[in-house]
Amino acid sequence: MRQFIESVKIALAALWANKLRTTLTLIGMIIGVATIIAIVSLITGMNQYVAAEIDQLGATTFIVDKEGIITSEETWWERMKRKKLTVEDMNEVAAGCQGCEYVGGREMTMRKVKAGNRYVNDVFIMGSTANYPQIVNFEIEQGHYPTEADNEHRRPVAFIGYDIIDELFPGMSHIGKTITISGQEYSVIGNGKRRGSTLGNSHDNYVIIPLSTFEKQFGQRRSLDIFVKARSFEGIASAQDEVRMTMRARHKLKYADADDFEIFTAGDIMSMWENFSRGAFIVMIGISSISLIVGGIVIMNIMLVSVTERTREIGIRKAIGARKASVMWQFLSEALTLSVLGGAVGILGGIAVGQGLSALSGIPMGIEIWSIVAGILVSGGIGTVFGVYPAMKAARLDPIEALRYE
Amino acid sequence: MLIKTENLWKTYNMGGEELHALRGVTFCIDKGEYVAIMGPSGSGKSTLMNLIGCLDTPSKGTYQLNGRQVASMNDDELAFIRNKEIGFVFQTFNLLPRATALHNVELPLIYNGTTAETRIDLAKRALEMVDLADRMMHRPNQLSGGQRQRVAIARALVNNPSLILADEPTGNLDTKTGVEIMGVFDRLHEAGNTIIIVTHEHDVAQYANRIVHIRDGQIEREESGRKRAA
Ligand SMILES: Nc1ncnc2c1ncn2[C@@H]1O[C@H](COP(=O)(O)OP(=O)(O)O)[C@@H](O)[C@H]1O
Ligand SMILES: [Mg+2]
Repeated sequence: MRQFIESVKIALAALWANKLRTTLTLIGMIIGVATIIAIVSLITGMNQYVAAEIDQLGATTFIVDKEGIITSEETWWERMKRKKLTVEDMNEVAAGCQGCEYVGGREMTMRKVKAGNRYVNDVFIMGSTANYPQIVNFEIEQGHYPTEADNEHRRPVAFIGYDIIDELFPGMSHIGKTITISGQEYSVIGNGKRRGSTLGNSHDNYVIIPLSTFEKQFGQRRSLDIFVKARSFEGIASAQDEVRMTMRARHKLKYADADDFEIFTAGDIMSMWENFSRGAFIVMIGISSISLIVGGIVIMNIMLVSVTERTREIGIRKAIGARKASVMWQFLSEALTLSVLGGAVGILGGIAVGQGLSALSGIPMGIEIWSIVAGILVSGGIGTVFGVYPAMKAARLDPIEALRYE
Repeated sequence: MLIKTENLWKTYNMGGEELHALRGVTFCIDKGEYVAIMGPSGSGKSTLMNLIGCLDTPSKGTYQLNGRQVASMNDDELAFIRNKEIGFVFQTFNLLPRATALHNVELPLIYNGTTAETRIDLAKRALEMVDLADRMMHRPNQLSGGQRQRVAIARALVNNPSLILADEPTGNLDTKTGVEIMGVFDRLHEAGNTIIIVTHEHDVAQYANRIVHIRDGQIEREESGRKRAA
């Protein structure tokens, strides 16, 4: 141990004396470890984000819609040709489902929203049923959500998000004020809690109006997304079966026909995300292992140069009694010091890159202790593996020849 | 008897041709002796020194150091002997260029597990013995040739070895500095150390109390040195 500390001190002094060479030597190692740290941090952050989104949707909620989760261009083209889902479908589903606590629906479009001479572009305009907040854990701050009666009477009432308040009614009250969407006036009846943004997308950039009002103003050609909250977590599957039966009957599908609509849960979105992040991990391992191997080879090379340059030193050490193992250990601990130093810089670099990307993209970032430990272990392992050959070469030098080396 | 060699041969294989650097060297050295090995360049002095110093093993023959048979030892056993029993002084000093005088002198102690405190203590004492107490923190390039050789001598002493070996220790020094260095060896001898020096200079050999002449890998003759009085 004492000898190890001694060796590390010698190694650090040698590395410090050759700062430029050290930096160049360590670039591969730094990139490799930084890649691990940055990607693990971002994926961890994304996991937290996805988990939060799914939490929002709720564990007992599932969605019935025309497209489902699109994973390829072909499925998109195919699913675009399907029959759209309608308010009648929603009502039949609600009527024929014992396991469903709530059945609601929503349609969306993007419009410009005005109030007086102020306006906001590209606002999500959503028409929804009155039970939507119960289905997706939506939190109301002031006023109320469009009611059953608002829906029935197609009232022009609007429930707005904080971006609209900030832009159209800065520093003043908004309840009861009028906003205009595509020429139609709406009266503001409430607003949701501020939710912030992720991935650069604001979650407060919305205006919600009754579904019937939406269809009256924007037409009925859009397909309805039906949101269902099952009575219990265990009951999700049977509730989904009931919904599927109703929809297949309405679309007059034969026994052998596949569904022409999609049913999915938050869990399905989660597993899709997990597939994606698994892919990202594989890419990461690819990138980082290439740079780590390159880094290892560079370290081996620099250690071989070092052994040659210090042949005489090795001869001196052997002449005064250094055993093979001592010399081996000295050079191995230099390689180890070098690579772990690279690993440490890589960890700091990876955290910095992760934080930078996180700031740019809005993806939250989570630093995982295990990835830091892995970074140190991997860089140390690489240093050891690639340091063995040069260290062995040093240890095997003949003392007389080494002393004679010029 | 400290050293006893019998019929030592060292043969190098030079591209199929055998080169006999030593051809049957037999001699003994007692504890406390001061021996000079003299001979022309290429006569095998360094080869013999390397065998005595356990840096190398003979091709043939036996070598006993302090009663132990050395000729058949493996690398690590030889390293142990070099560390414990032998102090080397080289013509080219062979100090670690980036290390201080103190650290250079400490080095042999690092390889036998001496604790840091004792190490520094012993190294300081060795440097005092060669009158370099005030240069401990200097690196070799901050020292004169004579001072460097004194650091090397301190390093050879620090482990209190049975034997101090010096291969042309004054070869890289001017005459005046050479005389100073030989004075240091004199003092060490008076303090009870056994010393063997290799030289091709007649004047230098005269410091020893026994001179062994070698030529073509064989002992030619022996004489006693007319050890100069101070
Ligand atoms: N490693 C070696 N390989 C081949 N020949 C060597 C080697 N070392 C020494 N010799 C040869 O052995 C002879 C004795 O060399 P050395 O002991 O160095 O002589 P000295 O020290 O007396 O000048 C020389 O002819 C030299 O060339
Ligand atoms: Mg010689």
